[in-house]
Amino acid sequence: MWSRLLKAALVGLSLISCACVPAAAQDVLKIGGIGPLSGGGTAWGLAVQRGVEMAVDEVNKAGGLTIGGKTYQPKLVMFDDQYTAAGGRTAAERLINVEGVKYIIGPIGSPSALAVVPIANEAKVIVLSNGYAADILRKSGEGAYNFRAMNSNIEFGPAMIRWLHERHPEIKKVAIIVTNDATGQAILPTLGADYKAAGIEVWSESYERGTKEFMPLLTRMLTQNVDLLDLNSNAPGEAGLLLKQARQVGFKKMIWQVGGPSVDEIISIAGPLANGFLSYDVFDFNDPGAKSFVDTYRAKWSGVINAQTPGWYNATKILFKALQEAGSLDTDKVRDALVKIEGYDGIYGPVTWGGKADYGIAHQLLNKFWITEVKDGAPHALTVLTPEKK
Amino acid sequence: MVGPSSTTVESEPRPSTTPRSYFWPIAVLILAFLGGWPLFVPNQFLFTIGTFIVLNAIGATSLHLIIRTGHISLGHAAFMGVGAYCCVLAVTKFGLSPPLGLIIGMAGSGLLALLIGPVVLRLTGKYFVLVTFLLGEVIRMVFVEWISVTGGSNGISGVPPLHPLLASPMATYYVCLAASLFCVGLCARILSSEVGRTIDSVREAENVAECSGVPVIRLKVSIFVIACALVGLQGGLLAFFLRYIDPTSFSMVESLNLVVMNVIGGMYSLAGPLIGTIFIVALPELLRGYVELQRVFFGIILIVVMATFPGGMVDLFTRVRKIMASRNAGAVG
Amino acid sequence: MFSTTILGQVFLNGLSLSAIYVLIALGFTLLFGIMKVVNFAHGAFAMSGGYALYYLYGVLGWPYLPAILLSALFVATGALVLEFLVFRWFYQKMFQSMIGLLGLNIAMVFASVILFDVYERSIPPALDGVLQFGELVIPTDRLLVVAIAAVVLLVFWVFMSFSRYGLAMRAAAQDIEIAETQGIRTRQIYRLAFFIAIFMAALAGGIYAQIYALSPFMGDRPLTVAFIVVILGGMGSIPGAALGGVILGFGESFLSTFYGSAASSFVSFGVVIALLIVRPWGLLGTPE
Repeated sequence: MWSRLLKAALVGLSLISCACVPAAAQDVLKIGGIGPLSGGGTAWGLAVQRGVEMAVDEVNKAGGLTIGGKTYQPKLVMFDDQYTAAGGRTAAERLINVEGVKYIIGPIGSPSALAVVPIANEAKVIVLSNGYAADILRKSGEGAYNFRAMNSNIEFGPAMIRWLHERHPEIKKVAIIVTNDATGQAILPTLGADYKAAGIEVWSESYERGTKEFMPLLTRMLTQNVDLLDLNSNAPGEAGLLLKQARQVGFKKMIWQVGGPSVDEIISIAGPLANGFLSYDVFDFNDPGAKSFVDTYRAKWSGVINAQTPGWYNATKILFKALQEAGSLDTDKVRDALVKIEGYDGIYGPVTWGGKADYGIAHQLLNKFWITEVKDGAPHALTVLTPEKK
Repeated sequence: MVGPSSTTVESEPRPSTTPRSYFWPIAVLILAFLGGWPLFVPNQFLFTIGTFIVLNAIGATSLHLIIRTGHISLGHAAFMGVGAYCCVLAVTKFGLSPPLGLIIGMAGSGLLALLIGPVVLRLTGKYFVLVTFLLGEVIRMVFVEWISVTGGSNGISGVPPLHPLLASPMATYYVCLAASLFCVGLCARILSSEVGRTIDSVREAENVAECSGVPVIRLKVSIFVIACALVGLQGGLLAFFLRYIDPTSFSMVESLNLVVMNVIGGMYSLAGPLIGTIFIVALPELLRGYVELQRVFFGIILIVVMATFPGGMVDLFTRVRKIMASRNAGAVG
Repeated sequence: MFSTTILGQVFLNGLSLSAIYVLIALGFTLLFGIMKVVNFAHGAFAMSGGYALYYLYGVLGWPYLPAILLSALFVATGALVLEFLVFRWFYQKMFQSMIGLLGLNIAMVFASVILFDVYERSIPPALDGVLQFGELVIPTDRLLVVAIAAVVLLVFWVFMSFSRYGLAMRAAAQDIEIAETQGIRTRQIYRLAFFIAIFMAALAGGIYAQIYALSPFMGDRPLTVAFIVVILGGMGSIPGAALGGVILGFGESFLSTFYGSAASSFVSFGVVIALLIVRPWGLLGTPE
């Protein structure tokens, strides 16, 4: 009799233990990530990786993502694209054809994005990328599967410049110093047009990415009698050096950045010379709403938080929301759900898509943004703006 | 006592000679594999990797031709870029057909080589390396700065496929394989002929060769032009494959990769660059996820190869074979 | 545009650029002149100097002059290990050294990425202000750079010209085999030359990192500069490196200010290419 009881107890225990292991039976939902994980752009690639991971961890801690009645555990599969076209292409091929991924976050650089988007669209894979080249959205056509999850200067430029012109009508000439790479060359025509529309004359110069010595360039700028220096899309390190060396060479007028943001790095590089500097900012890390984001990040990683990280966290959360709204993994349905999301708050405030006038399709996420001023060595938010929905 | 001797003449392994009887069976096997695997493992990702490997084989073997004449070019990828841009511009701006674009690409890079060759090929080893290093950079800067023609850093996108019927990944692989076989075959033909022996003699003892009546400069320039035209073909094919070109694809990093493929595989035998290509293109794919560690190992491998067997992997095989052979010979007696 | 203020500013910029360039190029040309090694890893050693200064001065807070000298000393001493493991296989084998040291460069740079992470850091400046002379503005940190470079160069010149070891090194540079027969101990001289070369590279790297930025990839630009300067002045020629550094520094300052940086790059590359074709041994080198 005891042996029968023992057997029953064992069977009962095993039945209970089966019921208590649902996690092993849950499905994994692979989310692809592409970004530079080696070479000079690694900081941005890590921002993609960490931003997506934060969103993924958050969802998994809450028990998973329920889509159409089934619960999934999202998982990030991230590949390095080395910031080149061939790298992006290889990474995307591997994600789509080997890992079977249907949703990709990234890439961040225009060469990589321009190489990834055509094959992703062909394979009906959803892409939420960055990259300032307008062709990323323009060449995709109706019914495309790719979206842009961060503002490019076409989105934030006009609003910022108009704000500045109203506040400082005495500014008549601006110096725009850009890198001669994909981002810089994409920005110059559009940013220049935005300034000219506000009646401000433009003088521009470009330099080879990786240059750190700007004194000759800035001395050249001094001869042009500009009232304003715009650091636009320069990387944080270069932006800091440009500001510091501009002050060191004797430039006394206003310096601001329609791009970046690089406020923390600029303060650390230029020190007291940074006071009075204004900048575009994608995220107010001092905002009370940002605190939980910062704490979660700090619990896992140390060091400077790259300002693009919240943007990728936001993109992933929007993707998850669209998956839930669509109730299915089918990318046609998810794409339609994405386009329809309006008003959902990831971390940037209500989602709004725009860009139809600029690109032919409204697949540009319009994020609100801030203008920050450096006062006494610390950044202070001046105002909040939203891009125009065109 | 370990350490280098103080002679300045680097001892060079003999070019490896595979016994004739083994050659054709091995070649047929390899060709069958290259042509056949897509039919058994039709995975798009593998097609992409395969296409990159065969395309890079063109670059590596064409550079090998130049290296066999005794000159290391650190600007080979720039000529690839010239070919790519000429081809793409011919197709997008002048509306020519893609195959004709390929020919124009080859002509463009070949012509540039013809203009530059006679001047720079007169320089000895180290100076030639430096000049090609700088030239490569200058050409890349032209790609970046001449925005109206080349699209600058944003490149030229929306390049059509080579032929509407040949747009699928598998077809692309076969087309590139065919081009690659043509190029490698051409290089092999050149190197195994009378011309090839002359090339080796020029590399090993240029003055003696000249005294024997070899038109050294003319030979070097001809080889240089052929090599640059071939890598221009690779550029055009790459453009049709990626449907997009930008200056970052033709930078110093690419040129260095081509040189490293030759060095690691072996600079003195045609098998060298082929082995090197597979190594350099396939290895990063296998070791994904440990990018920095992979690069560190890669650097260490370079050091070890250059320090111990400068003839590359081919040299390593030859030495191993010799050791095995001497062991057998010893065992018999 | 060509006012005296601007010209004065151009001159000052050129001076500070030249100082850094000469420091970087000297070590490079020393390694080539004596050991016939093309040190593709020179930039990586400069980068190591940058990190050493970051830790000694930025993190531990030692006073500046000791910090910068000691950081260069640490790097040079540590590099002797690499001399034993890597460099000595390539002495007098120029071509092999190029590729082998390229491998060393890759290994060192990515090892730094693993050790230190990729983010750019900045080292706090030693001096913070600007001096104003009428309309001319001179940042004091640049002035300090010129002073340090001048002192180091002076010490180096005295050493090479008047000390026994300096003479031994010059003999080795001219003809290593004859020098050996004269009783000069090559291993020792090689090690000494290596130490001095890396010391200067690390010093230059520390200064470079402080004025600009510190990251595992910061060594690329110093390496390119070293190449150009040394080709200009003549590979293996020490006065050539000094002359080349000055020409490049002032040339860049002048051209960039008046004609833009693209023009400056094209001209400097073009001149060097032309020089290599017409006079490959540089301005002060010896033809072979």
